[in-house]
Amino acid sequence: MGREARIASPPDSTSGQDAPPAQPAVVATTAARVTLPRAAAGTTPRPARCAAPRPIAREVDTIADDPLLDASDGTLATRARDGDVHAFEVIARRHGPLMRVLAGRLLGSDVETDDVVQEAFLVAWRRLGDLDDPGTLRAWLMRIVGNRSIDRLRVRRDHDDVDAYERPAPRSEAPDRQVETRLQLDAMWSALDKLPLDQRRCWLLRETAGYSYAEIAQALDLPTSTVRGQIARARVFLMGEMEAWR
Amino acid sequence: MTPIDDSAPLDAAELVDGVPVDELADYLDRGRTPRDPRIEGSAECRLYLQALDRVTRLSHASLEREAEREPDRDDIWITGLLETIRHEVVGGRDIPVGHPDPATKLSVTEAAARGLVRRAGDDLDGVLLSSTSFDGDVDTAGAPVVVRVTAAVRYGLDLNAVADQLRDRVAATLGLHTELAVTSIDVTVDDVWLPGDRGTGAGTGTEEARR
Repeated sequence: MGREARIASPPDSTSGQDAPPAQPAVVATTAARVTLPRAAAGTTPRPARCAAPRPIAREVDTIADDPLLDASDGTLATRARDGDVHAFEVIARRHGPLMRVLAGRLLGSDVETDDVVQEAFLVAWRRLGDLDDPGTLRAWLMRIVGNRSIDRLRVRRDHDDVDAYERPAPRSEAPDRQVETRLQLDAMWSALDKLPLDQRRCWLLRETAGYSYAEIAQALDLPTSTVRGQIARARVFLMGEMEAWR
Repeated sequence: MTPIDDSAPLDAAELVDGVPVDELADYLDRGRTPRDPRIEGSAECRLYLQALDRVTRLSHASLEREAEREPDRDDIWITGLLETIRHEVVGGRDIPVGHPDPATKLSVTEAAARGLVRRAGDDLDGVLLSSTSFDGDVDTAGAPVVVRVTAAVRYGLDLNAVADQLRDRVAATLGLHTELAVTSIDVTVDDVWLPGDRGTGAGTGTEEARR
């Protein structure tokens, strides 16, 4: 029986700090190959109405002049689909923080958000082949983290007392903190905090995760008319809250 | 703080200059297209749209800012994530590498070969490879193989020269590390970025020029 050896992983999948090997680097391994499950093609995400994200110019585990930090989402997604782990890391650093915050707002607490975002990225990694237009990566990721968050909510509904989660103490609920000098974004953040959870969920799923009314209805197990109503209420409330900041 | 009464009936027929607010919200969602003269012709409606647009943008911006608040927070889950997915990289086909001892079978995985090609391309200034594929029976020694790569290139570079350099590098790398019988290397430039534009490629703007 012959020995077998193969290079098991792309050489650029690590931190990118290694010099290119001058000799063919062949590593003996018996590692079984893993086949990625391919999920059914997803729906085309509704483009979120928001500004393009700024790339996160951070240098953790990456070299400062790493050209991938400036790469478009499309390029990164295509490379990641080809098995480039580092490209996927850049994607996670670029979009993960917002996904974490979205998950926290949808769940109403910050406790599980790291897990939810990590799960979302695992799903994304395994389904990269389903992403028809790599340029829509961000909207696609927001939907995935929305889905993962809702799955968590379902588990809670099945096993826990929902009310225990319904009213987290908003960061700025105390009236004496509602001071005149608060920045606009603080005001917006606290306005979102003040929304009843269902309204906030509907609003964020629509505005940040790019869900349609029907998709929110299905995800939250509500009639579409209720979803429309929740979003209408959220809209009225948020516009009223922000009136003073115009 | 005034408690929000979730059960209070919302006046669904709330109108702005005769237009239901729901309709205005949907219109804004559609990017104000196709243009509705009834809405665009009303100063009140335009004001409402402006206010609503502002709130949705602020809503998003407040989340973005919160996301930036704890810059080190994400290192933990990202480390765990990378740990997991490294094990899930699909090796693809095995590309045989000859060995004097006939009992020893050596191979390089397709994924590893792709990584070599990407690295060769990225080393070129102003070039970022996106996709890499090998067409042909790479798992059969000596079978003809066509290499196809797509690349994003900095605006202003001579694309033909870039493509030639890229071909040379890819051929050299594959020649060194594999025994693939490469018959041709097809280079497709599917994205261009502006020199002063570094970073904005992170958005969706540049993708519109794709393909």
